[in-house]
Amino acid sequence: MLSEAAPPTVKLFFREAITRALREEMRRDARVILLGQDVGSYGGSYKEFVGLYQEFGPTRVRNTPVAEAAMIGLGVGAAAAGMRPLVSITYMDFLMLGLDPLVNYAAKARYKTGGQILAPVVVKTTAGAKGQGVAHSQCIEAWLMGVPGLKVVAPSTPADAYGMLKSALRESGPVVFIDHKRLFPTAGEVPVSEETVSIGKAIIRRRGRHVTIVTHSYMTRVAQEAADLVAAEGIACEIVDLRTLAPLDMATICDSLARTGALVTLEEGQLACGVGAEVAFRARERLGTLRVTRIGPLEAPVSSNPVLERACLPDAERVAHSIRRTLAA
Amino acid sequence: MVSILKEEIGGIELLRSMLLIRTFEEALLRQRDHGFQLLSSGEEAVAVGVCAALAPDDQLLVGGRSIGPALARGLDPGFVMAELLGKSAGPCRGKGGRGHLAQLSAGFFGAHAVVGGNIAIAAGVALAAQLQGRSALVACVFGDGACGSGVLHETLNLSALWKLPLVFICDNNQFAASTPRSEALAPLQLSDLARPFGIVGMTVDGMDVIAVRDAALAFANRARSGYGPSFLECVSHRFASHSTSTRETRGTDELAEIRKLCPIRRLAERLQSSGALSAAALGSLQSEVDEIVTQAVRFAAAAPYPDKSEALIDVV
Amino acid sequence: MIYKLTVPGPIEDVEEVRVLEWHGAAGRRFAPGELIVELETHKAIVEVRAGQPGVLRRILCGPGDWQALGAPLALLSDDAGERLPDTMDELASWPVDFEIV
Repeated sequence: MLSEAAPPTVKLFFREAITRALREEMRRDARVILLGQDVGSYGGSYKEFVGLYQEFGPTRVRNTPVAEAAMIGLGVGAAAAGMRPLVSITYMDFLMLGLDPLVNYAAKARYKTGGQILAPVVVKTTAGAKGQGVAHSQCIEAWLMGVPGLKVVAPSTPADAYGMLKSALRESGPVVFIDHKRLFPTAGEVPVSEETVSIGKAIIRRRGRHVTIVTHSYMTRVAQEAADLVAAEGIACEIVDLRTLAPLDMATICDSLARTGALVTLEEGQLACGVGAEVAFRARERLGTLRVTRIGPLEAPVSSNPVLERACLPDAERVAHSIRRTLAA
Repeated sequence: MVSILKEEIGGIELLRSMLLIRTFEEALLRQRDHGFQLLSSGEEAVAVGVCAALAPDDQLLVGGRSIGPALARGLDPGFVMAELLGKSAGPCRGKGGRGHLAQLSAGFFGAHAVVGGNIAIAAGVALAAQLQGRSALVACVFGDGACGSGVLHETLNLSALWKLPLVFICDNNQFAASTPRSEALAPLQLSDLARPFGIVGMTVDGMDVIAVRDAALAFANRARSGYGPSFLECVSHRFASHSTSTRETRGTDELAEIRKLCPIRRLAERLQSSGALSAAALGSLQSEVDEIVTQAVRFAAAAPYPDKSEALIDVV
Repeated sequence: MIYKLTVPGPIEDVEEVRVLEWHGAAGRRFAPGELIVELETHKAIVEVRAGQPGVLRRILCGPGDWQALGAPLALLSDDAGERLPDTMDELASWPVDFEIV
């Protein structure tokens, strides 16, 4: 049997995966433009846009003032008129200020005009708690999952950030691309050749027969740490990294649950009406009764206070504890 | 002499366009299930005057008061009536209705029912035109009700910074539903809202279609010549209440005074006194429009509603 | 004496770096304060300068290579002629100053 060598990869910082995706798409398609705060010669708050201003200039890479409603509105309008903008919203908390053009126009444009207007805009935003306080820490992706017409993606690795950002920029409708503050210090292997990663497909990060952990974004790494902890006790965890939150890939999730029979969902956003609630309920609808545990943060704002922030967020120990309890039940 | 002649011919076109809107809306209200509507009656001069300044390649975006602008932009009245009544023959397949009426191919990027919600969108459409190297301009109509909204000011700022080919049209009918302008907005003259951003502004009588047209033409030329955005305030009066579901707040005497300012009668009188329009010609203009509207109603009434499976089409 | 030059730290939020550029080849003598190598973190450049005199003997991580904090990047010695050992066990760390730019 011939075995193919794995395609060559290069290790990149998370931010470099984003820059690379944007650079390739901007070279490939003159309609792709970048709007946002600090995206010009500064290169982005996480240096995720470094070099783009220098290469593509001020017409295609535009700094904006702090004006999220207009930033997203202009991006949506430009998309509706034939461009392919990426609007960078530095903190996901401030996506709220631009929800009207995103939800009331972009997500509904195609429907309300009977297919005349498409709004292929990518809103890229960074979620997550990392010492910056109550209004700079939120993960509100669950709020977006119930908007018909809106796709929502949340990669956890540089390879997926790269491939999914490319895909997002080629979609025919609006996509919210969510990364995470704690993913920027990470690095990972990314294919050397230009490749997209499909939107709408979850991925199994780790195989195991005792329990399925369904998670996304930075919590995927916490899930791996927890799985390492319980592996020593003989518990084998399967980890499904959702990658796309809307549409949800229930096929991959249910396929895993059919083998493990136990579901643990893990998210950094609030559990009320959260990602886990939706996954768990849909899984039960398809598979019948199921052992389910949802893990999330404390029901409190996330302070910048290091003691309180740590107390609020799920960590490997807490996840491991939940896994043991789920399987003991 | 030649330019006056052109003006008079232009004037008759403007009159026909306003008559069409008025007659159309009267017919709409006679439909048993006319639905929730915002009428342009009284404000026809704003819609018609602005559209007279637009070229086929330009795009017009409006708020919820979309019937006048749609007809003025040249959309087929039968299709408009179909859309308003929820028939699938409408340009939005009956799924937008009045609040989201649009026909891109006709330069009517369309209505959006969120107050102020189309303003930043319009700036984006203008940005696209600029990036695509087209000399097209974008006009965005909104009411005085949108002038307290933050996104208007954000968009004024960005469009001035980036010199977008955008004409802001404030159709100031002096009420936001039940709230008079004086209770909602500190500036007396709404075109002053553009001043802090260095955007040229003008206030005209919105009941005078010639004044609206001439001002709109001047600002359209600015946009086409790369001078960037402008702000045209048209002070108008709506003849009906805010919507078909909103109670009228003005008294009968006040309404009677307002009716005297009718833009249609005003232009007709002007054209008649200059000899460009006879009473007979006015009569046949009205008959022409009546026939168009009758056909539109007939077309829309006969058109089918969408199948319920349409509910899941074009979602994503 | 032979030393190993390791990735300096601690650097907040950083577990691994990528070598950006060596400012000298094997055989080059460095005086204290001289820039010897630049490293990239996810958000900044780390300038590593000599903490004492020494000769760069062998580069273990070239430009583009990744290395964890505390792990070896190169071998140095006090004198150019000293024989290099077969293993890096029990080698002292070569003192450096580092600055995040």
